[in-house]
Amino acid sequence: MYDVIVMGGGIIGCSVAWQLSKLGKKVLIVERTDIASGSAGATDGVVGYHTKKPGPQLDLAVQSIEMFKTLNEELGMDVEYGLEAGGIQPVENKEQWDMLSAMAEEQRKSGVDIRMISAREACQIEPNLNPDIYGALYSPTGGKVNPLALTVAFSRAAKKLGAEIMTNTEVTGFIIEEGRAKGVVTSKGEFRADAIVNACGSWAGKVAKLAGLDLPIKPRKGQLAVTEPIGPYLTATVQCALYNVIKFRPETIKDQTVLKLGSSLSIEQQESGGLIIGGTREFVDYEGENTFEAVETMMKRAVRFFPALKDVSVIRFFSGFRPYTPDGLSLLGEVKTLPGFYMAAGHEGDGIALAPITGKLIAELIVTGKTSYDISDFSPNRFL
Amino acid sequence: MGEELIICRCQEVTEKEILDAIADGATTVDGVKRRTRACMGLCQGKTCGRLVQSMVARQTGQNPADVPPQKSRMPARPVKIGTFGGPEDV
Repeated sequence: MYDVIVMGGGIIGCSVAWQLSKLGKKVLIVERTDIASGSAGATDGVVGYHTKKPGPQLDLAVQSIEMFKTLNEELGMDVEYGLEAGGIQPVENKEQWDMLSAMAEEQRKSGVDIRMISAREACQIEPNLNPDIYGALYSPTGGKVNPLALTVAFSRAAKKLGAEIMTNTEVTGFIIEEGRAKGVVTSKGEFRADAIVNACGSWAGKVAKLAGLDLPIKPRKGQLAVTEPIGPYLTATVQCALYNVIKFRPETIKDQTVLKLGSSLSIEQQESGGLIIGGTREFVDYEGENTFEAVETMMKRAVRFFPALKDVSVIRFFSGFRPYTPDGLSLLGEVKTLPGFYMAAGHEGDGIALAPITGKLIAELIVTGKTSYDISDFSPNRFL
Repeated sequence: MGEELIICRCQEVTEKEILDAIADGATTVDGVKRRTRACMGLCQGKTCGRLVQSMVARQTGQNPADVPPQKSRMPARPVKIGTFGGPEDV
């Protein structure tokens, strides 16, 4: 018998499990394949304010980024967090400048330092950036982390506090008694608990369906590339302005290919020296192969903003699924029609940055029935 | 041979680190990769992939052929970013 069963051994599930374990709960993580085998191992590690939707999502990011500062120490493992890396969004024209300026004004309401700077200033911060840009958005406190290391660190810290992890175990149904979720049925048998957390990321909609819940979380593919390790080239994380335009104002994009591929640029250099280049968003169900169309678009945009990269080699392309929701907000909280069943999924591209705060708030909710920050905007019940 | 023996030369991952990853629950080459970065370097596991596969097999009591290798992805060997032309070159 467990207090809580967390479904999904990704970055969110492991964070939730660690926080619950810290509060003295007996936790079981049930994972279909392996720890960090889904999106956490198939993404970059951008932890910034400026790519977050203004309002509650950004407020969560502010609290989460505060938590990142002490994670190495608390988890007892280096998660390669670079706090003051900064985040830059090069802007290509006045239209983008106006859109990002307006968004930044909204974002500043959450008390964050996000500002518009000239092309010259941007190139002073990142000397390898192409000076042929209109300007840039800059967020000095943006950071980056190694998402794989962070997920593994959450899982190990949870295990140390007594959590159990069952990998290669698929959830096939639920034990529901008198209208309450009381356990999970898996490929390795039945397990009971007082609370069940669905932290299955891009697969969370499918898992919810097994409990008869129709929740609109669907997979959105992001394709990425990793390069050979090179010397220090880039400190900040860089997303071109199109990244935010596609994310928040897709209706303004006229080029149908850009819209279909969601092709912008997101680039960062890892501690190991390799650059991670990404920035596509496609709805192709769970088809995860790389396509030449997306790969070419990404590589061209990388050279557009960082011309010297043309001579750097890609060693691998890869892809991951982001859990999309219709309103861009994740689903956090208890499902009213099925007490005992909690959602912690649907962060799309913000899951890495929001993992620490998500774990904390969900654990608080399960243990005390209330949260230190109001998450009613994220309630799964808005879709039921 | 001690446990400091390097198995993945690109990422300098030792035998001990790989054994620790298997003890931590890795049952596939990808599982070891995610925990240690073995197979994530310049050669993408061309050198150490088989070694890791046989270590996982030995430690978990499986036949090496039954341990899934790492997922293969393009490119087959490193390619310069400037090589990717975009739609104009079609």
